[in-house]
Amino acid sequence: MSGTGPREAVFPTRMNLTLTKTRLKGAQTGHSLLAKKRDALTTRFRTILKKVDEAKRLMGRVLQLASFSLAEVTYTAGDIGYQVQESVRKASYTVQAKQENVSGVVLPAFDGVRSKDASDFNLTGLSRGGQQIQKCRDTYVKAVGTLVELASLQTAFTILDEVIRATNRRVNAIEHVVIPKLDNTIKYINSELDEMDREEFFRLKKVQGKKKRDAEKNDETRQGQNEDFRAQGGEVHRDEGIGGGVAGGADMLDEGKDEDVIF
Amino acid sequence: MSTTTSNPKDRTLLAVIGDEDSVTGLLLAGIGHIDQNQKKNFLIVDPKTQTSVIESAFQDFTERKDVAILLINQHVAERIRPTVDRYQAAFPALLEIPSKEHPYDPAKDSVLKRVQKLRGD
Amino acid sequence: MEALGFNMSAGFLEDFRLQLSSTDYGNFLANEPLPLSTATIADKATEKLVSEFHYIRTNAVEPLATFMDYITYAYMIDNVILLTLGTLHERDTHELLERCHPLGVFDTMPALCVATNVEELYHSVLVETPLAPYFRDCLSAQDLDDLNIEIIRNSLYKSYLEDFHRFCQTLPAPTSEIMTRILAFEADRRTLNITINSFGTELSKDQRARLFPTIGRLYPEGNNALARADDVDAVIAAVDHIAEYKTFFDKAGVSSGGAGTGAEEASSSLEDEFFKHDVELNKQSFLQQFQYSVFYSLIKLKEQEVRNLTWIAECIAQDAKDRVNDYIPVF
Repeated sequence: MSGTGPREAVFPTRMNLTLTKTRLKGAQTGHSLLAKKRDALTTRFRTILKKVDEAKRLMGRVLQLASFSLAEVTYTAGDIGYQVQESVRKASYTVQAKQENVSGVVLPAFDGVRSKDASDFNLTGLSRGGQQIQKCRDTYVKAVGTLVELASLQTAFTILDEVIRATNRRVNAIEHVVIPKLDNTIKYINSELDEMDREEFFRLKKVQGKKKRDAEKNDETRQGQNEDFRAQGGEVHRDEGIGGGVAGGADMLDEGKDEDVIF
Repeated sequence: MSTTTSNPKDRTLLAVIGDEDSVTGLLLAGIGHIDQNQKKNFLIVDPKTQTSVIESAFQDFTERKDVAILLINQHVAERIRPTVDRYQAAFPALLEIPSKEHPYDPAKDSVLKRVQKLRGD
Repeated sequence: MEALGFNMSAGFLEDFRLQLSSTDYGNFLANEPLPLSTATIADKATEKLVSEFHYIRTNAVEPLATFMDYITYAYMIDNVILLTLGTLHERDTHELLERCHPLGVFDTMPALCVATNVEELYHSVLVETPLAPYFRDCLSAQDLDDLNIEIIRNSLYKSYLEDFHRFCQTLPAPTSEIMTRILAFEADRRTLNITINSFGTELSKDQRARLFPTIGRLYPEGNNALARADDVDAVIAAVDHIAEYKTFFDKAGVSSGGAGTGAEEASSSLEDEFFKHDVELNKQSFLQQFQYSVFYSLIKLKEQEVRNLTWIAECIAQDAKDRVNDYIPVF
């Protein structure tokens, strides 16, 4: 029974048995909780997976549209690439991270923020193609919005993937390593304790038998001594302990009245 | 998780590595940023650009603490594919985007590859 | 000049090249490695345009030579602005030389690259370039630093247009007439565009008014009205007395009280209408003999053609065949 699998190195005591049993219970609760968490995450993961797939394909189209609008700009306003690169100072389109909690996993989500004073390129193409540039810019802002959304999805995907893997590892570890180990330990302790019980019982029996034999032997000797004593003419008293006997036990307080005591 | 140690709230910028048209468009949208050290958050790649330059820009952008999303043209990513595929961290999020002349090919995307693998089984 | 009347079913840019080889453009792409990019096509087509221009220019005598120099000034302005931009941002301006429009390249341009700050650049422009009068007229070295680059560009362009116009007046009759017509339209187009594009920007009305060329059919009352205009409706009112311009707005569908998005879409086609009219005017100059404006028109039309080629190439490259016919036909 014991020793069939790995077990913890503990002394097979009753206290350790209780402890281990508590731990087993904890492990089982943990296991079911983690399994639940894993299921929740996996559900979430599946939806995100689907969304990532869709969004990636959508992005292809959105960006195609955007680059086409850039082509329109090039048609009317000429090459504005360098001008645009050089007018860059401070990002007017930034992202803000917010956090979402899914079964204890913090998933970041990005939000595109376009600052109000986004007028960096207002004057570009003033005399030619300004309207196209504005239009193109709006198209690109929208495209970047899609990209940001996709990025949040993807980040969620990466983090979830990692968390799910970690959770899976833990679930499996509990299921296949921790719980069997604790089980084995309990069995081991139980069997050891049983063994000890049996030994103890046997020992007690032995002791009892020995005591009985000794007592009988003592009785016999005493009986023999008494007989001898009587035969010599002595009287055998029974031991009546302290204060015992016919004369003992009188109350000292009732012995007599003291004169000096008034009341 | 080791990847979430740095606070995502500090990451506000988008960075981009791509060909001139893609970068121009994205800059038009206002993502461009030049910090105090005159460091840009974008890199323009043309056929003459050395692969090592792209590599180092990629490293640089992925290590920067203020970049939330890194956009990279797919055909550029293709040139440094091993590095891109090795990149697994959650921050900054890496997005492969199509360019004008290179339509989007989902089969090459390092993330989509993983998606496909995961959905496959 | 070819009519671009080839089959639009060209599926790829390689087919596109094949189609072009039967035209005037011939084998201009023959030595380009595959795959072709639209940028290469645009570059090569421009190169061809430039070489043709230089061919004519070298064979020209006065006053045609000066006339043709004037044509290049417009491109020069763009180039100088580009270099200014580079200098302002302390870039290595030498690599910018490649990005300059080849028509606007002048011999002393590399000298401008030596300038390390805007002050130096300003002085080298004054010394080295034919644009000196324009710079002197409307800018100081200080301005180059402070003003928005677009404002500088447009101020220069305004001076240029006025100067070109003055020069054309000195030429004999048919040339001056036709050039006046073309330049007047060019000036009006700029005025209108600047007005419309400056709505909702930090450009003040005063600044705006200073960018309007003082020639053209809208000058002076129209310009004054436009200087005060606050929205598209006011612009339409200002051009009301010129039938052609009015029809542009009508065709473009910029109706009074048009909603934000409607106006936006419409003004892009307004731009198209301008282009169409520009092409039309330039075509007309071919109908007159013994005058110089054909050269100007030739360049403008060629330029438009290059744009069209780029557009078509772009449409093919981006798989947007439904938009492929949205160019402005030259002939």
